[in-house]
Amino acid sequence: MTDIERASPPSRKRILVVDDSSLVRLYYRDTLEKAGFEVEQAINGIEAMEKVLVQPFDLAIVDVNMPRMDGFSFLRTLRSSPGDVATLPALVITTEAGEQDVAAARAAGANFYLVKPLSQQDLLRHAAALSGAPP
Amino acid sequence: MPFVKRDVTARSKDGRPPDDNLASHVAALNSPDGETRWSAARALGGRADAVPALAAALAAEPVARVREAIMTALIRVGDEASVMALLPYLRSQDAALRGASIEALQALPEAILPFMTSLLADSDSDVRLLATELARNMSAADATRILCRLLEHERHPNVCAAAIDVLAEVGTREAVPALQSCAERFAGTPFLPFAASTAIARISDTER
Amino acid sequence: MAGSETHGARAVRVTPEEVRRLCEFLYRRTGMLFNDNKRYYIDRRLIERIAATRSASFQAYFAILRSDVDHEIEHLINAFTVNETYFNREEHQLRCMTSVLLGNVIRRKPPGGAIRIWSVPCSTGEEPYSIAIWLMENWSHVDSYNIEIVGSDIDTRALKAAANGVYGERALMRLSRDVINRYFRPVADGEYQIDSGLRDSIQFTRANLIDAQDMARYRDFDIVFCRNVLIYFDDASRRIAAENLYDCLGPGGYICLGHSETMSRISPLFRVCRFPDAIVYQRPEADHDGH
Repeated sequence: MTDIERASPPSRKRILVVDDSSLVRLYYRDTLEKAGFEVEQAINGIEAMEKVLVQPFDLAIVDVNMPRMDGFSFLRTLRSSPGDVATLPALVITTEAGEQDVAAARAAGANFYLVKPLSQQDLLRHAAALSGAPP
Repeated sequence: MPFVKRDVTARSKDGRPPDDNLASHVAALNSPDGETRWSAARALGGRADAVPALAAALAAEPVARVREAIMTALIRVGDEASVMALLPYLRSQDAALRGASIEALQALPEAILPFMTSLLADSDSDVRLLATELARNMSAADATRILCRLLEHERHPNVCAAAIDVLAEVGTREAVPALQSCAERFAGTPFLPFAASTAIARISDTER
Repeated sequence: MAGSETHGARAVRVTPEEVRRLCEFLYRRTGMLFNDNKRYYIDRRLIERIAATRSASFQAYFAILRSDVDHEIEHLINAFTVNETYFNREEHQLRCMTSVLLGNVIRRKPPGGAIRIWSVPCSTGEEPYSIAIWLMENWSHVDSYNIEIVGSDIDTRALKAAANGVYGERALMRLSRDVINRYFRPVADGEYQIDSGLRDSIQFTRANLIDAQDMARYRDFDIVFCRNVLIYFDDASRRIAAENLYDCLGPGGYICLGHSETMSRISPLFRVCRFPDAIVYQRPEADHDGH
């Protein structure tokens, strides 16, 4: 690391929020931005895939109940993409807590799994941990 | 020029006029060959007299593409019987089937309207949650009335969240009291008070 | 925020959040998906439509849009899809065709086999002629196969113009002088006509994407360009058109939509293929039961 790199403040962690509900995206964005994260949004897996291919992210928060191009499908595409994109940490959000869903989430390549609705504290704690932000 | 010009109209597989025989198409719906079933479903599109056969075929169809074609055929009829043929799949264990049926029903906002009260009172919270989405394509007045009635009694937070999401897009000012009381009922919980106040702010924008 | 005056009326401003909500609505209704660098463009078009409908606010306009008063959805889509047609309009798709798609197509073909390409809607012919010219200029195997190019539209006047093949300078703006000289002849002031050999090589037909009987005449296509038309259809018609197009393609055949269009809101029948130059959709190579 050069002197300049050492001296400059660490850049903010970038999070991509993928959910088809504009209210949920707004909630996550407000919470995360206040805590110092940079937040991008995507309405579905297609838009999410477009964004991850052109911008770097430290974490994707993905709802898996979106219709059609659902979160699992996005994750699978992500994990089979070339380069760094494939290892993007992914926090999966679902309405179910059943074992089936945990197994499905793991199989699709999720790093972690939470059930909605999310409290702000849960969201921030997991966002920080999974994106590698300092505690 | 490396290009070849052929008469497209000469390529039709056979010269016979289209077959309007209901019985033969219905029989083809039960063919062991998926391609035949696909063609039969497409040929029966929009035929009200074919709904019972389409409904029965849908229940047994293993190939996703053919299921889609059967659903399209039902959508094209779009009457009460078609809706009833599609409704059971809202409860399916198969997420893809649930998704397909919701998409199909979303194309029929008028036909699904009479069913909304019972769907939103269903004992299964997943069904109620999916049903809120069906209100999105309805008139603002209908959607508001239906979803406010749901919000008055709904206890499941994710169902409320789904209803509020739709109201945020389509709700009229009549929705504001129900949204406020929902926020109060769920005060102190994550997300819902935020969602309700955001929805109210968007709706109230019409007051100018 | 963006805003504008309308003949002394109070300026209506739209926030980034409102633009996002508009995009979300458009995506659900039409399948159009706009990336972030399109947002400024959308701002301007939205404000135009707010003014045109004399709406006092975004919310008031949104209510009009949702209820599709006076076909507002169509007006809005028209505002976003530049309706002007010209040669090599989406060159990245043509590049994808010669760099990837055709390579995959010929793997299934015997030497000298037929390759069928369809442009529907073809409007006044710019697209099918562009495909033909592009192939001759850029595909090394263009002489090794029997290539059939068909252009279809529901508008017979447009088809007549297409068969006639006369275009103004504006339509040719993306073509080099060399290409224009090779394939066109000047016929009037600022007007050029496609060479008769090329004109005679393209078949122009009238076709309606929603009419299954119409569409039954089109089979075994390897590549279909179907741009900026499905977005205008309602849910039921979109599904019918998608099913028809599926049948018109051979197994493994490709379909290219408009730049901002996605198949996800239209139909699950096709797989998405992400290539360097373009995202295209493919009819699966073989029918897997359950897929």
